[in-house]
Amino acid sequence: MNLLNSSQPSSGTGLNNFFSSKSLLIGAAALMAYGIARRSKTSMALAATGGILAANASRSSSKPQAAHTRATFLVNATPEQAYRLWRDFSNLARFMRHVKSVQVQDDTHSEWVVLGPMDREIRWTAEIIEDVKNERISWRSQPDSLVQTSGSVEFQPHRAGRGTFVTATVRYTPGGTVSKAIATMLGKHPQFMVREDLRRFKALLEAGETPTTIGQSHGPRGVHGAVEQVLFRETGNLAAPQTAQVYSETA
Amino acid sequence: MKAVCWMGKENMQVQNVPDPIILNPRDAIIRVTSTCICGSDLHLYNGFVPTMEQGDIMGHEFMGEVVEVGPGISRDKLKVGDRVVVPFTIACGNCPSCKDNLWSCCDNSNPNAWIAEKMMGYSPSGLFGYTHMLGGYAGGQAQYARVPFADIGPLKVPEGVSDEKAVFLTDIFPTGYMGAENCNIRPGDTIAVWGCGPVGQFAIRSCFMLGAGRVIAIDRVPERLEMARAAGAETLNFDEVDVLEALREMTGNQGPDACMDAVGMEGSGHGFVFAMDKAKQFLHTQMDRPIVLRQAILACKKGGTVSVPGVYASFIDKVPMGAYVNKGLTMKTGQTHMMRYMQPLLERIERGEIDPSFVISHVVSIDQAPAAYRTFRDKQDRCTKVVLKPWESAAVA
Repeated sequence: MNLLNSSQPSSGTGLNNFFSSKSLLIGAAALMAYGIARRSKTSMALAATGGILAANASRSSSKPQAAHTRATFLVNATPEQAYRLWRDFSNLARFMRHVKSVQVQDDTHSEWVVLGPMDREIRWTAEIIEDVKNERISWRSQPDSLVQTSGSVEFQPHRAGRGTFVTATVRYTPGGTVSKAIATMLGKHPQFMVREDLRRFKALLEAGETPTTIGQSHGPRGVHGAVEQVLFRETGNLAAPQTAQVYSETA
Repeated sequence: MKAVCWMGKENMQVQNVPDPIILNPRDAIIRVTSTCICGSDLHLYNGFVPTMEQGDIMGHEFMGEVVEVGPGISRDKLKVGDRVVVPFTIACGNCPSCKDNLWSCCDNSNPNAWIAEKMMGYSPSGLFGYTHMLGGYAGGQAQYARVPFADIGPLKVPEGVSDEKAVFLTDIFPTGYMGAENCNIRPGDTIAVWGCGPVGQFAIRSCFMLGAGRVIAIDRVPERLEMARAAGAETLNFDEVDVLEALREMTGNQGPDACMDAVGMEGSGHGFVFAMDKAKQFLHTQMDRPIVLRQAILACKKGGTVSVPGVYASFIDKVPMGAYVNKGLTMKTGQTHMMRYMQPLLERIERGEIDPSFVISHVVSIDQAPAAYRTFRDKQDRCTKVVLKPWESAAVA
């Protein structure tokens, strides 16, 4: 399998997945609940939109598809710095939201733990299949893994020396049940997942941490606030893993 | 701690909420000694800006004392006990935007950048106490506040400078100053400034600092026009005169060299188009009322500059693009790139070139914040600027 040749942004599939996923049903229901709770004209329009989306989602099939997507960010760092942060796979959990931990076993093997649906832990072993220093890293899950996944990242210096273009490609292929579950979870909006992961990689590299508001103070949210939190994905905007460490230091 | 919370349109409440904690290595916690209500908070109060959440803590203008710093901050940058004023924009200091001195466009400070990208293409920096599209960070109208990237933003304030003088370095003084800088002022230029609220007042004074020969200030609130005249501006009351005709007369049919919109999305005016704007805003088919922006474009000299420090949130209708193009105008905008201006403006305050406290009309305890929002919004009681004292329980002045 040649990842790089076959890689193309799958926004079309992404959109289809997005419009067929179960999460959409939940979102649509939230939109309807929110709209009805607000009792204003605009909110009623929102509620109606929610209804249409819900009808749409329940009509279309929810067969998981291979999630295959790519994103590029320009980061203010040299290819060496970017490569170094990524090459130590134990760092991946610091910016990949769905990855709970990556344990490096030897120079090419690592054990990944991903939080699946219902917070179930899913594990596999990945091996690095290509490693060109400061240029490119490719990896894939071992053939006997429960999950068939592969990915690669490339580092290209900006021509005028304004940093490094980091391009990440990730692919999950549905196979067994677990794989299907993962693809459903990750496939609901793969472009979004990869882009947000890469955005956090950029923040980690440039700022040393990823921005978060999870755990900050706020007043009573009430019904409105709780629904709005879901709409703005604030509850899914998990705290960066370094947070736990800092928590324990200051608590 | 006590905090002013946004509980819905025109519904601010002082709530008891948990004290903030350090969440990231470069965070600090500030014990707030002074915090203000900003004109842009009124857009939230009036419910015109999308992506607020019930329970959000308000306020992006605050200063105070550092009570806790995260492990990622070196002691020579910031330490417990420092008295600091906090800029309203949050910047990481090391992304391409920050390195370009475009601090309010920081790439890394908005955890909800994806929402802003949907609306604006790319996300500006996160802000305190504003919408979730711009980060949803808890604000400073509270007894304590969490400040991310605290080794970049907060500026230490010397003992000799009082809260009342320093607190406007959080937003409105630098914002007015950048509005003036964006006018590309050459010595002797004539600048028209729409809006004599707090930002307008600082903009007028900054225009003179930067060499303007004449400033023409436009508003309709008598005490605000009076304050503008005190700074040396000529004034126009848009209830009494046709602003475009008056500016034509005053500039010998040339138009002002630069026009500044220090009003933003909730402008007021007269006539059919204004009525249409109000109707559209009411129906949410248009979020912003760009009446001032239209006037500024029409009034501006050929080849002149339109500077927009006023806040716009989304889309506007009926912008005279033909006039803008055919007159060869330039528009300069942006949330304030705070870190460019805070230190130099603090030095101006220390040298006595300006005493920003002139703008204060009310100093009240945080418990009176909900009423103060209404007073400020309705421009009652000669209200120009409200300072809240989070640790005092009775009226101060």
